[in-house]
Amino acid sequence: MATRDVYRMTNVRGMHASLDRLREQIVELLPRLRRFARTLARDPHDADDLVQMAVERALTRSEQLRPDSRLSSWMFGILRNAWIDETRTRGRRNRVFAPEEMGENVGDAASETHTDVLSVQDAMARLPDEQRIAIGLVLVEGLSYKEAAEIMGVPVGTLTSRLARGRDALASMLADTTGALQ
Amino acid sequence: MTFSEEILMAYADNELDSQTRSAVEAAMATDPDVARRVARHKALRARLRTAFDQIVDEPPPQRLIDAARGVPAVRREGNVIPLRRKAPPRRAWPQWMSLAASLVVGVLIGQALLRTSGAPGPITTRDGKLLANGVLAQALSEQLVSTQKEDLPVRIGVSFKSKDGDYCRTFLLHESTTLAGVACRDNDAWQVQTLAQGEAPAAGGTYRQAGSEMPRSVMQAVEDTIAGEPLDAHAETAARAKNWSSR
Repeated sequence: MATRDVYRMTNVRGMHASLDRLREQIVELLPRLRRFARTLARDPHDADDLVQMAVERALTRSEQLRPDSRLSSWMFGILRNAWIDETRTRGRRNRVFAPEEMGENVGDAASETHTDVLSVQDAMARLPDEQRIAIGLVLVEGLSYKEAAEIMGVPVGTLTSRLARGRDALASMLADTTGALQ
Repeated sequence: MTFSEEILMAYADNELDSQTRSAVEAAMATDPDVARRVARHKALRARLRTAFDQIVDEPPPQRLIDAARGVPAVRREGNVIPLRRKAPPRRAWPQWMSLAASLVVGVLIGQALLRTSGAPGPITTRDGKLLANGVLAQALSEQLVSTQKEDLPVRIGVSFKSKDGDYCRTFLLHESTTLAGVACRDNDAWQVQTLAQGEAPAAGGTYRQAGSEMPRSVMQAVEDTIAGEPLDAHAETAARAKNWSSR
């Protein structure tokens, strides 16, 4: 009986230690999580809300993180699922990407020089979710096709076709701005 | 041989096996259309990356750090004095701003970096590419990480070979502003791939401090493009002897 209690106590302590480590690893990962979230949600506050939601979910499910899986992939997956849940429940009723609002949000240096061109962020916001997630994971986060496909729960072939379609759409939306440097 | 758009896209994403990769490269060498399509895929990838890069250099908001560390959100209640206000000491996040390629020219001209009083500036543009110039180009070609002196205007961080097979080097440049980035050998020039601008030096001492560490976006770019390990002193010297040509 006593032995069992000791065992349980050390076990609990061990869990706390590893949870603390996980917390710090998540803090380290925050910059990348925020960047990925921004490829999904155009509005920076929405994106940070999404990160917060993913962080909280991850911490309540830390036991699902297998020792051999990469924390970043696991977190990207949670973030992606949170985004999909969020857009479903909201039914996109408050589309933060409405083109009328966009004009006001783009108060950065880009709009001062080219007020009529679409920024990369705006173009991303117009892609269908599946393509945007694929582009965000591979082109922005630099993940391999295999990793990205696993996160999205699809075969690599499906991922590459989403990637190709997303690229096509982005290229045509950004076509009039690529000449800016030439 | 003709290649589907998906194959060329996978080439730009570094996803091809070595055999297909070589076949694409052979086609690129002989068929300008293939070369142009690959360049377009690469350019889009770089553009996407740059557009979102500045986010990784921003310090994350405290509420996210608190969420990760499990700090209870009590501070909003007016009558409660937050007990755990002080977070454990963190590494300072230097303020860096990643520069979107399309903005670079304007920003640099604005800061008179392209041409400083007759002397050539450290960065120039040619055919839509950003190229190292003047003191930066010279440092990239000549300075060795192992022997460089402390007080030079340009410091080289690491030298490495990219997945594309080119030699690349990270740099920090202190001029009227602090610039950091990655430049890769492109024929006889150094093409600047990633560029971040440090905060303008505030008062005296902060200058060095802000510029002593590579920004995250630069480190991330290295992580994403490096093939194997950074060059050691010996490999670096050998690369310089070949004028950084990888062919």
